[in-house]
Amino acid sequence: MLSIKDLHVSVEGKDILKGLNLEVKPGEVHAIMGPNGSGKSTMAHILAGRDGYELIKGSILYQDQDLFDLSVEERAQRGIFLAMQYPVELPGVNNMTFLKESMNSIRRVNGQDELDAVAFMKLVKEKAALVELPEKLLKRDVNSGFSGGEKKRNEILQMALLEPKLGILDETDSGLDIDALRVVANGVNALRSPQRSMIVVTHYQRLLDYIKPDVVHVLANGRIVRSGGHSLALELEEKGYGWILEEDAA
Amino acid sequence: MSATTETIEQLIDHGYVAGFVTNIDAETFEPGLDEDVIRRISLIKREPEWMTQLRIQAYQDWLNMVPPDWAHLKIPAIDFQTISYYSAPKKKGDGPKSLDEIDPEILDTYNKLGIPLEEQKALAGIAVDAVFDSVSVATTFREKLSEAGVIFCSMSEALQEHPDLVRKYFASVVPHKDNFFAALNAAVFSDGTFVYIPPNVRCPMELSTYFRINESNTGQFERTLIIADEGSYVSYLEGCTAPQRDENQLHAAVVELVALGDATIKYSTVQNWYPGDEQGRGGIYNFVTKRGDCRGDRAHISWTQVETGSAITWKYPSCILRGNDSVGEFYSVAVTKGLQQADTGTKMIHMGRNTRSTVVSKGISAGKAHNTYRGLVRIARRAEHARNHTQCDSLLIGDRCGAHTYPYIEVKNPSADVEHEATTSKISEDQLFYCQQRGLDEEAAISMIVNGFCKEVLKELPMEFAVEARKLLNVTLEGAVG
Amino acid sequence: MNSSIIGQDWFQNTLLSNQPEIEKSKVLAVNNIQAKARNQLKHLVMPNRKQETWRYTDLNSLYEKMFKLNDRKTIDAIDVDEWIFPEQESYRLVMVNGRFNPQLSSLEGLSDRIIISAFSQLSAELQFDAARILQTINSFESDAFAQMNRSLFSDGFYIHVPKNTWIEKPIEIAYVNHSSDDQVLSQPSSLIILENDAQAKVVERYMSLDEAEYFFNGTSDIVLKKNAHLKHYRIQQESHNAYHLSRVALKQKNGSIYKNVNLALGGCWSRMDIQTAFEGQQASCDLQGVYTVRDQQYNDIHIDVKHQQPNCTSQEKFRGIIHGKGRAVFDGRILVSKDAQKTDAQLSNKNLLLVDDAEINTKPQLEIYADDVKCSHGTTVGKINPEHMFYLRARGIPEDQAYRMLCLGFAEQVLEAIEDKPIQNYIHGLLSNLL
Repeated sequence: MLSIKDLHVSVEGKDILKGLNLEVKPGEVHAIMGPNGSGKSTMAHILAGRDGYELIKGSILYQDQDLFDLSVEERAQRGIFLAMQYPVELPGVNNMTFLKESMNSIRRVNGQDELDAVAFMKLVKEKAALVELPEKLLKRDVNSGFSGGEKKRNEILQMALLEPKLGILDETDSGLDIDALRVVANGVNALRSPQRSMIVVTHYQRLLDYIKPDVVHVLANGRIVRSGGHSLALELEEKGYGWILEEDAA
Repeated sequence: MSATTETIEQLIDHGYVAGFVTNIDAETFEPGLDEDVIRRISLIKREPEWMTQLRIQAYQDWLNMVPPDWAHLKIPAIDFQTISYYSAPKKKGDGPKSLDEIDPEILDTYNKLGIPLEEQKALAGIAVDAVFDSVSVATTFREKLSEAGVIFCSMSEALQEHPDLVRKYFASVVPHKDNFFAALNAAVFSDGTFVYIPPNVRCPMELSTYFRINESNTGQFERTLIIADEGSYVSYLEGCTAPQRDENQLHAAVVELVALGDATIKYSTVQNWYPGDEQGRGGIYNFVTKRGDCRGDRAHISWTQVETGSAITWKYPSCILRGNDSVGEFYSVAVTKGLQQADTGTKMIHMGRNTRSTVVSKGISAGKAHNTYRGLVRIARRAEHARNHTQCDSLLIGDRCGAHTYPYIEVKNPSADVEHEATTSKISEDQLFYCQQRGLDEEAAISMIVNGFCKEVLKELPMEFAVEARKLLNVTLEGAVG
Repeated sequence: MNSSIIGQDWFQNTLLSNQPEIEKSKVLAVNNIQAKARNQLKHLVMPNRKQETWRYTDLNSLYEKMFKLNDRKTIDAIDVDEWIFPEQESYRLVMVNGRFNPQLSSLEGLSDRIIISAFSQLSAELQFDAARILQTINSFESDAFAQMNRSLFSDGFYIHVPKNTWIEKPIEIAYVNHSSDDQVLSQPSSLIILENDAQAKVVERYMSLDEAEYFFNGTSDIVLKKNAHLKHYRIQQESHNAYHLSRVALKQKNGSIYKNVNLALGGCWSRMDIQTAFEGQQASCDLQGVYTVRDQQYNDIHIDVKHQQPNCTSQEKFRGIIHGKGRAVFDGRILVSKDAQKTDAQLSNKNLLLVDDAEINTKPQLEIYADDVKCSHGTTVGKINPEHMFYLRARGIPEDQAYRMLCLGFAEQVLEAIEDKPIQNYIHGLLSNLL
């Protein structure tokens, strides 16, 4: 599904990723953990195609294709979905219109028929129930005036509609209380399937109690310094990141 | 980042789709302006003497006036002697009695512009007055309207058939001395639309005028007068296009609205005059005076405009809120790109008690264009409990354009409540990235953001017009796909 | 007669009648300033209401009066008893009817590296320096009143704070005017320069000892070098008969911070013009103020903020309380040039209009030529919310007190930002006495 090899990336002359390697197979859920500033969000943004990053060396293959050949929307159309840490507000743009345009543009590219208004409504309502997003929020402007939790649920709703092959959750748990976290996690779990891979970027172990990952990686100093099972996450929660950084330095 | 700017600039660099010329025989005056020209126009139209006198007076006053220079516009000097002040398609006989008598070329022109004049083909529920250069060539659905007592005809006909009504209201809202271009218009206006809605009648269909400048070197000086008698309602739409020509053409119109007690007039404009080419060659100078007078209590006048065309726009549709509890509204989207300049806005003059006004202005600037909002809100001493809310937002695309906001607020009554808010921003990289990450391409993303930005205004347009306006915005800013 | 012709005569008469009072300075640069301004005046159209910047200003009432420079070389024995800061904790400069008064001034303990002085007290060498700087800045070039100030350049203050120097004590400047045989023309010029990383706090107060009728026509030029930091308070609390016109021209280099609060309370006719310009990046400029208008009073604030450099921040926040049958004008412009990307500029003007037959004209303007900016302006005109009034009264507060509380609360939106407690308290006192 995804293969990152020796990825070096800098931002405004500062090296952020320094030799990152990662292999994700279909159906796997990978958690990326790490201290603040370790490059977790950078990695998520690079996968989605955000500009402003300079590739120094390395490669990313997605479904055996060089990801750097694809524009942001081409990546989205081929199944990469990024649930953002800070979802953007689009004043004046109706949420429903946005979801429909987005979904149909992806369907068009993939040779599927566009959904008509009725079929779309039905689908949205069904998926909105999954993330317990009040229907009235569908009628409002995209993310405008949404609470932090509502924005995150709106992200997961989009993921449910767009049915990506690779879902990347960038600190989706940040700013959520325990109830909202549970709702978001349930939504994500419902989307797990043998064909769909996910990368869950988080600072805290908490989210992983709800979304059980197949592999946990620790990203520090721009590289994966340790990988393991869920138990690694628990160990991190108990001991913090310090010991790993020390071991890495040693 | 630069990639984004480039794409946007490619997108806005599109062709003007209404730029074709119609080849017909026209009767066109030699360029030049003097009293004789004015008398000839008046004579052709067989006008009553008082109208001829009014024209002459306006011309005399105009000679002593100077063009306004306070706007944020660079206006090249206009030589008024090089303009032809009258052009009309040659008629068969005595003016078209039915569509059969209209030159098929003209019918075809309107068809190409998407305005079929044959009633069976017309958009349901919209009556059209088609003005071609200086004259009205057709007015549809007249019989249906006259059943309701509504008068909808060209100004020339109104002068023949309803002279008293015209005389009572003509120039009563915009006196000829109001400004330089209003004076010129009063002197040389050739045709335009006249509407009268009798008391307590809700006009059974949308009325619309479609203006087309065809002939070269002509100016268009139409005059619109709409009177909504007590308790009546009318919604009026106005559209404009012109062929692509290298020289500039002058459009100096005057629109007067009179709303008596409890009457409502909704006036919508989609203005797409030829804006000139990328080098700034050609294009229409759109110098228009539009004003509505809420003459009775609870009268309501609402202006909605979507302005994408013209090389230079100078226009301030205004409301005089004379009646108590009267309401004035101004909703505007003005798009400028290339070398276009627009200085537009509104005046809300509150004179009656409990008068309310709302101003929503959305300016979009791209390329090297300059877009200015200029507005006046005046609360007179006797206007108890007047309220105004103004929202002016500017969206900038590219780094060589400008957006300017000049609101003038004059309050003489302490019970007033006046609010003005303005913002200026660009389409943010974050917004574009977000949309693209959801699979929308850049064009679709920009279109969606721009339409969202204009939403408050577009929702004020009648349905058919809103669709057209949205299309126009997309064409203007995103370019046709493919 | 139209006001531009009246203005022409007025300027000419004022200049001619006051020319003899101007001593020929020993310093050539000062003479040059005067000569240059006199020449400049010949080319200017005198202010009249057809000009956009004077559109709402009632000039005729000013043009009806004649004012004379104070010719007395002797020092007035007056007493300024109301200071904001105690004598030991501040530096004081006093100007009476446009002439420096050394007796009332005090600069005890001032390091000799720092210059805080009247122009007239400076050595010829320093006068030359200051005059040269003023000439280079050349502010308000097309403003006839500013050029009149320069033409009849007599005295003013010069503050120069060297590199890395922080002046801890506030500098309190009092421009005092009182009745005299003539209607006095008082027109100081001041120049404040903060070198790199310098800091200072300046309070300028414009006051009257009696109900004197005079024309104050002052100019302040301020230059903030890299990372300099100036707090500048201006309190106009003049008599009901005073004509007040004052200008501030500010230039800011990289990283400098200017915080300014203006109180415009007194005078029968008052106008303050503030022009700021950024000459470096990452600088910030914060202009705030409260103006009040009582019966027959005209009070005008003109702000012009120019963003010509990227990454600068400006904020303008003005509150007007119109509690008498007078007229208030607020004209605030933000200009963002083509290269001034990442500008953040916000302007807010709110007005309380409390009586009939009063008038407020407000004109906030945005002129923007750069695309990556965050700019906004907001302005409101309204009355006291009757529900707020009712709420206070329902809690037993008498109507007039409730009214005052709500007005002060309105002004508080500006006053709360004042970091210097003594100033904040003083202004509170002034406002509660006024309303």
